[in-house]
Amino acid sequence: MTAVIAAKSLSKWYGNVLGLNDVSLEIEAGITGLLGPNGAGKSTFMKLITGQMRPNIGEVTIGGRSVWNNFPLFSSIGFCPEQDAFYEDVTGWEFLTGMIRFHGFPPEEAAERASRALATVELLGDKDRRIRSYSRGMRQRIKFAQAIAHDPGIIILDEPFNGLDPLGKRKLIRLVKDFRSQGRTILVSSHVLPEIEAVTSKIIMIHHGKILAEGDIHKIRDLIETYPHMISVRSNAPRALAAAFVGDASILKMSFGPDGRSLVVETHARDAFFGRLQSVVVEGGFEVEEITSPDDNLQAVFDYLVGG
Amino acid sequence: MATIREKGYYHWDGRLEERRFPWWPITRTGIQLAFKKKGFRFLFAGQFLPPVIFMAVIYASENLENFKFMVRGSDRIISITPGSFKFFFTFGPVVFLCVMMLVFAGAGLIADDLKHNSLQVYFSRPLRKRDYLLGKMAVVLFFVLIVTLVPGLLLVLSKLVLSGSLRFFLEYPWLVLSILGYSVVLAVVFAFYTLLLSALNKNSRFVMIMIFLTYIFSDILSALLRETFRTPYMILVSIRANLEQVGAFLFAQKSAYPVPVGWSFVVLAALCALSAVVLNTKIRSVEVVK
Repeated sequence: MTAVIAAKSLSKWYGNVLGLNDVSLEIEAGITGLLGPNGAGKSTFMKLITGQMRPNIGEVTIGGRSVWNNFPLFSSIGFCPEQDAFYEDVTGWEFLTGMIRFHGFPPEEAAERASRALATVELLGDKDRRIRSYSRGMRQRIKFAQAIAHDPGIIILDEPFNGLDPLGKRKLIRLVKDFRSQGRTILVSSHVLPEIEAVTSKIIMIHHGKILAEGDIHKIRDLIETYPHMISVRSNAPRALAAAFVGDASILKMSFGPDGRSLVVETHARDAFFGRLQSVVVEGGFEVEEITSPDDNLQAVFDYLVGG
Repeated sequence: MATIREKGYYHWDGRLEERRFPWWPITRTGIQLAFKKKGFRFLFAGQFLPPVIFMAVIYASENLENFKFMVRGSDRIISITPGSFKFFFTFGPVVFLCVMMLVFAGAGLIADDLKHNSLQVYFSRPLRKRDYLLGKMAVVLFFVLIVTLVPGLLLVLSKLVLSGSLRFFLEYPWLVLSILGYSVVLAVVFAFYTLLLSALNKNSRFVMIMIFLTYIFSDILSALLRETFRTPYMILVSIRANLEQVGAFLFAQKSAYPVPVGWSFVVLAALCALSAVVLNTKIRSVEVVK
């Protein structure tokens, strides 16, 4: 697939502080999660992509065109910042129509687009209320609305789930997934890993201004050889199952889960283990209820790479 | 496996307007927000009190026969000349009213954006920094010009209408240009002055106080320095006095202070230049890394 956004040798520093260090990557259509602890460089990266800042070294291109100072290109980008970024004394409607007008839409079209965006985020009924009276969740939604109102092909969401209640989060996740199915390119940053996991398995992990990993989360996990894979097998006889594996050289460590019914195995040779497990289960007549990989998830990968 | 994605989102076949004035949405919001502030409408309306009084004076000057019984020697006192216009435009309380209007309408122009992190939303759109600043500046220009230029031109017009002849205009054909020139100078200086202070702090209440106090304090300081150093050049410290000097020059009147008017132009230009430098430095979408 062709890259929509491309960063080449991107570096940005603020005085003596390095915000981003020699970042080169490509982002394709679909949802990509941008992960990293606070201060990792996520917001800097997003601001460089959205053309708000000029990189000290390197270049960001969208569709092959350089972003910096390319103002017509900005209409194809929707940016939802992390912080509240609006006047408290304007109504949701005034805020949104004002933002849309920056893209050069005539007033009637701006009004129609504002209505559509407000309806999408379920704020149409509250459009005439001042933003001052909006709840935290409503503020998040109006911010999201301003990012999508001009129908951009690229949507950059900086911590969009902050402050949303579980229902609001679920709705926004569904909305983001809908946008993906429409062929848009969406970059979502968060430091809350389950939120990213809920929308995508394609991630970019950033730490101290450098890209630690990018790609599919499971493939990234496979590449981490420092830490053995953990596999949990829940069965009717976990200890007997463990006995069958004692002599297996590929297994580094075995333990039992807190429920007493799970055997937790650590191995570097995951495929070999699964092959052997199949025969052991059939030959021993074990009943296997569940096989899971406790560390084949974002949290584990994040912890292994970032050192959390 | 390759994936073909259907671009299924909303397509718009209309034409985007040629954005000749990309700063206009900023200006419109700034004006709207000013009128939403408590007390601003009252203050704005109050700006038109001096022109109304001046218009009454013009009316009286054109109907002296009816008013002679009120004031002895009124035919000498009530005489409308360019000097009257200069007095009207540079009269301390009138300029002070204008500053008070800016305290309410201008303090939050940039301070609120800094406070609410709005710059990143603006600059992720097709908006240049200069458009942003122009939009903010246009808010101040709008308010200052609407209380100076518009009443000024209306006053000239009313003088012509009430006198029933073009004599006044033919005697002083440059007066309209003087009004235009002074209004523009006042608006531009106040725009830079207001935006400079607004960009220096995120707290708009603090900026309000700063706009008010800096204007007042520059005048007080000027008076103190004049007394201390016994030199009229200390009027250059005062914003009001410099504006009065420029006003006297533009309305072809004698300066109130024995200081070449060029110095006042230089001081006001320096203030604008300083403001431009500070604005250029402060207005950027930067993440502060701590």
